[in-house]
Amino acid sequence: MEIYLPIAEQSMNVFLLFALGGAAGLLAGMFGVGGGFLATPLLIFVGIPPAVAVASQANQVIANSVSSLQVQWRRGNVDLRMGLVLLLGGMIGSSAGVTVFTWLKAIGQIDFVIAVMYVILLSSIGLLMAFESLRTLWKRRRNPTGPRGKLHTHYLVHRLPWKMRFYKSKLYISAFLPIGLGFAIGILSAILGVGGGFVLVPAMIYILGMPTTVVIGTSNFQILFVAANVTFLQAVTNGTVDVVLALLLILGGVVGAPIGSRIAARLPGVVLRALMAVLVLAVAAELLFELLRTPLSPYSLGPREVLR
Amino acid sequence: MRGLLLLLALAIGTSAFIAPAWGQRADQPLPAPSLRAPSDTALPPSVPDGGTKPELIVDLSSPRVSITSAFQGESLLLFGMFDPPGEIVVVVQGPPARETVLRKERFLGLWLNTGRMRFDDVPAYYFIAASAPLQRLLARGGGEILSLEDRLSTIRPVRQRTPAQMAEFRQGLVEVKRREDLYPANFGQVTVQAGRLFRADLPFPSRLPEGVYDVRTYLLRDGKIVAAVSRPLPVGKVGFSAELAGWAVAEGPLYGVGAIAMALALGWLGGAVMRRL
Repeated sequence: MEIYLPIAEQSMNVFLLFALGGAAGLLAGMFGVGGGFLATPLLIFVGIPPAVAVASQANQVIANSVSSLQVQWRRGNVDLRMGLVLLLGGMIGSSAGVTVFTWLKAIGQIDFVIAVMYVILLSSIGLLMAFESLRTLWKRRRNPTGPRGKLHTHYLVHRLPWKMRFYKSKLYISAFLPIGLGFAIGILSAILGVGGGFVLVPAMIYILGMPTTVVIGTSNFQILFVAANVTFLQAVTNGTVDVVLALLLILGGVVGAPIGSRIAARLPGVVLRALMAVLVLAVAAELLFELLRTPLSPYSLGPREVLR
Repeated sequence: MRGLLLLLALAIGTSAFIAPAWGQRADQPLPAPSLRAPSDTALPPSVPDGGTKPELIVDLSSPRVSITSAFQGESLLLFGMFDPPGEIVVVVQGPPARETVLRKERFLGLWLNTGRMRFDDVPAYYFIAASAPLQRLLARGGGEILSLEDRLSTIRPVRQRTPAQMAEFRQGLVEVKRREDLYPANFGQVTVQAGRLFRADLPFPSRLPEGVYDVRTYLLRDGKIVAAVSRPLPVGKVGFSAELAGWAVAEGPLYGVGAIAMALALGWLGGAVMRRL
């Protein structure tokens, strides 16, 4: 069954889009990340214009993060103070990101930038995760119980000024850190249409040193508002949010997410992270392949301008 | 928590109530395209002015191409009658616009858009059909009837370039348009029956730009145009699609807020429902 997407201006199979949303939801449920990093490249791959894919995916991320935030909030796993500081950076970053996006679209380089950023981002995250899970597996084999480490290590970044206390995260760090992190994630969110959870979560653990219990909830909190900001700005400046497309993705995600969390409950964490690493690397490799291989036709058309 | 859910249910109930209003407004004339087209609902079969006895009568199976939520491209039937002898040629042109042709080149091993050229007056769509091999018909001039190649040789680049570059990019433009079935590669066939009745299928793909298309039918005798009939064919979104696209353009902020509200409501509801299953 085909449906006409009014903003993408083409018809597309309903079940294909629904399945794409479902796959993103499955990932969201399994790994606690949005799944946008997989859905956006796939949308582009099936022929949705990148600008529409990114903006509509941002719209889908809202739905995704609000359903997981529901759970996390009730369990008290949201560090509101940290979330708000992150959000301050996130709002500035996503607004700047949409401006950059509009400019790149105007000069005809947006597709290329999206692809390159995905390759860089996904391959580095994927490799980091792969190494990390291999190391954990290795350690466990040699020393099953493992010594208890320090709560967190102190790096140079902890000497920055304007320190703030984050009680729930048991941290006393400079506010510049979360603001900078939020800013970077905001830019990613605007240009790539991802929530950014797959970057934000490791960054919160390894760079900020937050306890893992509050990481997912807090990142969901920040992503919700940043995605809303991106959706709004994309709708106003580029008019590229396709609500019909977003609706199908959301419906798929709603079905996929609980299945994902059920699968996750049965698998050990290390295996999950290794699976995730493989998946992320596979998407990165595919995108890189697309950039390197000789295209079928070197020509494409930019936006059509009707002169009145 | 319960209160919030109730509120949401209410909100969705109201929107379901409003929804039929969208459907009713679907039958209104198309906003932009209908500007240049006469009221297209009751257009009579076009008859050329002047002659008392029309030599060529043409009609279409539908007065417009409606892009609805279920649109996947459409084939329109053009049919009519002419006074023999003669041959029939049909030319369908989409509205002209400025197109930017981008060309990928290898840069540090990566393929990236480095070349670009903009052309004015590029038809969004171009289809030509004839009752006899077109080359033969146009060999003796053909007047204003242009094959795709001839039509495209009239488009001008926005900034002057070398002829070689222009030819390359023009070829690229045709390549992309062919891929999207906007410049159908083959000449269409006009079928003539009983010596005076004719018909042709006009294929429109799913990715069809909006605007008023021009459907021109010519009657040729000895390579000369003896009669021509021009019909405007509005192509536009109707119903829910038109409503949404209209909002997205005219009411960006409202549309954005609506999109956010939809995602929030569905995400919340979905989360609450699926957890209970």
